[in-house]
Amino acid sequence: MNKAASPLIEVQDLQVHFGSPAQPVRAVDGVSFQIAPGETIALVGESGCGKSVTAMALARLVPEPPARYVGGQILYQGRDVLQQDEDALRAIRGNEISYIFQDPGSSLNPVFRIGYQIAEAIELHRSDVPTRQEVLDLLRWVGMPDPARAARAYPHELSGGMQQRAMIAMALACHPRLLVADEPTTALDVTIQAQMLALLTRLQAELGMAILLITHNLGLVAGIAERMHVMYAGQFVEAGPTEAVLRAPRHPYTRGLLHAVPRLEGTRERLTGIDGMVPHPARLPGGCRFHPRCPMCQTRCEVEAPSAAEVDDTRWSRCHFWSEVPPP
Amino acid sequence: MSATTATAPQSGHSLWQEARRRLRRNRLAMACLWIIGIYTALALYGEGVYRWHQWRDVTPSYQRTDLDKQYLQPSYLRAPFAREQMDWATGETYTVSGWQRWGAGWTRLAQHPLGTDGLGRDVFQRLVQGTRIAYQVGIITSLIAIPLGVLLGCLAGYFGGRTDDFIVWLYSTFAAIPGLLFILAIAMVVGQGLLGVYLGIGLTMWVGLCRLIRGEVIKHRDRPYVAAARALGLSHVRIIFRHILPNVFHVVIVTFTLRFPAAIGTEVFLSFLGIGVQGEPSWGIMISNARLRLWHGVWWEMAFVTAAIFFIVLAFNLLGDALRDALDPRLRTEGEGDHE
Ligand SMILES: Nc1ncnc2c1ncn2[C@@H]1O[C@H](COP(=O)(O)OP(=O)(O)O)[C@@H](O)[C@H]1O
Ligand SMILES: [Mg+2]
Repeated sequence: MNKAASPLIEVQDLQVHFGSPAQPVRAVDGVSFQIAPGETIALVGESGCGKSVTAMALARLVPEPPARYVGGQILYQGRDVLQQDEDALRAIRGNEISYIFQDPGSSLNPVFRIGYQIAEAIELHRSDVPTRQEVLDLLRWVGMPDPARAARAYPHELSGGMQQRAMIAMALACHPRLLVADEPTTALDVTIQAQMLALLTRLQAELGMAILLITHNLGLVAGIAERMHVMYAGQFVEAGPTEAVLRAPRHPYTRGLLHAVPRLEGTRERLTGIDGMVPHPARLPGGCRFHPRCPMCQTRCEVEAPSAAEVDDTRWSRCHFWSEVPPP
Repeated sequence: MSATTATAPQSGHSLWQEARRRLRRNRLAMACLWIIGIYTALALYGEGVYRWHQWRDVTPSYQRTDLDKQYLQPSYLRAPFAREQMDWATGETYTVSGWQRWGAGWTRLAQHPLGTDGLGRDVFQRLVQGTRIAYQVGIITSLIAIPLGVLLGCLAGYFGGRTDDFIVWLYSTFAAIPGLLFILAIAMVVGQGLLGVYLGIGLTMWVGLCRLIRGEVIKHRDRPYVAAARALGLSHVRIIFRHILPNVFHVVIVTFTLRFPAAIGTEVFLSFLGIGVQGEPSWGIMISNARLRLWHGVWWEMAFVTAAIFFIVLAFNLLGDALRDALDPRLRTEGEGDHE
């Protein structure tokens, strides 16, 4: 819909490989998407699908000796991130594109007080030293109950939720235009998950930033993301508006993920997850990458890799038989 | 309930403070610290004496030959409070009477408390100078080895790849040369004396530290906090030295504590062999001198030097072990809150 508006970031055919060039591990294999300013999009898939690598690549953060950026472009405000030098990248990281990670406890440096780490995050992209008041204001802004005390505390002295608030404060210290939240609630209690998402939504509204939300929990994306991308074995298999995709998935993998969500209404109902595991990117099956686990698999799927088929003008699916996927 | 109290914001105890508390509770470690404190005080006193004599441009007492006072026993064995006293210069005995006996007795007790050597030099003063030299060697070799080991270890561990290969090759080469041969070779190049000792020990000592630091940094470079720091836009240099190094610094402290006495021991050995300190009363030189008359009953110089070396090495090693326990990262996150 708003594709006409110039996107904040545009990823085209991104390929990130690990391992030797002779035997590449295709962790991300031809991913394309764009994020408009202020938009929230979700990236969904099981562990090991390449979500984190995709996300980290946006600021060229996948460590380069193991990783190789083999192909594609990442246009941030029209300039290719993959062509820029380290100084330019550092000016983007934390300032324009910020990250929060799954495990807030180990994402904070254990030997420094929270206040010091937040001050460092503020100071990094400007020349003067932030005042104590600025640090406390930032902590209050992310809903830290006792900012003065939290600023004095060491990371291990805070609860998981408080640690994640501190991480969010650091990530948003420079008012980035894109926040990448890589499974931000996976390590937290269910009650705190909801608080954290509410906090992110509020901060997003105040800053007008875009969010890339990565999760393997489809329950989270429903309320938040406008569009979602489903990732499997290094590729996107389905993309479209969240409501539409969740209501009527057009890829059997999406449908499988939906069934793996515990249903609140039918407590007796068994979880029908997807059998088997995500293939390691070094040992991808031929044909459709999902076919060994697909309940709808046919002979064509074993030999011919499907290309993205347009379902309607807002969504597409990488399945030969997308029209036959049953409703969830 | 206990879980919430353990995770609620508390008074902000750093891991270093926890370690210090753990160390305080260790009686043996505190005793070692006291012993090291006494040695340090002696070394500083020795430095003062040395400087003072240099400034006045006079031969210090620990170098002045006085053949009248050859091989005096430690003062308390010379019956300082007895009526009969011997004049050192003439060898004649004379009688001290009345209250004088006590007043002069204390003075005699303070004269050459640890006896004198074959040239009539005061053993205590020489021992103090030996302490000064030992500290000088320990500190200067650490100043060479620690920056080198930390820098190269950090670079190798953090960057990996070619950098790592090169640094591992470098320290393996150093480690492959027998330490003593290496020091001898350096002594041949720069000449005998303390410079050769500093360089020889310093350039072999960094290897162990470098290896340990590299291992620790490898453990830390893949921790999420490093990725988070990268994502905030920090440079590699800042991440290495301001974020990872404080996390692995306990290795430096423990290694320093364990290598310090090793450096002292090496200096003693080299000086004993005659390739170390020249003309100054290093412990090694004292041992070398003391062995000459040992079998004639002149035991004190040897005994006191050996004891001095023994206790400083023991104190540093025991403290090093205690520090390793106190700073152990595995203990660091365990059971916080329950001592509060
Ligand atoms: N440092 C690395 N070295 C080698 N392979 C890696 C590395 N990081 C990720 N990979 C590969 O990339 C794949 C995708 O990883 P990741 O993006 O972390 O998955 P997700 O975030 O979806 O759980 C993994 O299956 C793994 O094989
Ligand atoms: Mg991940």
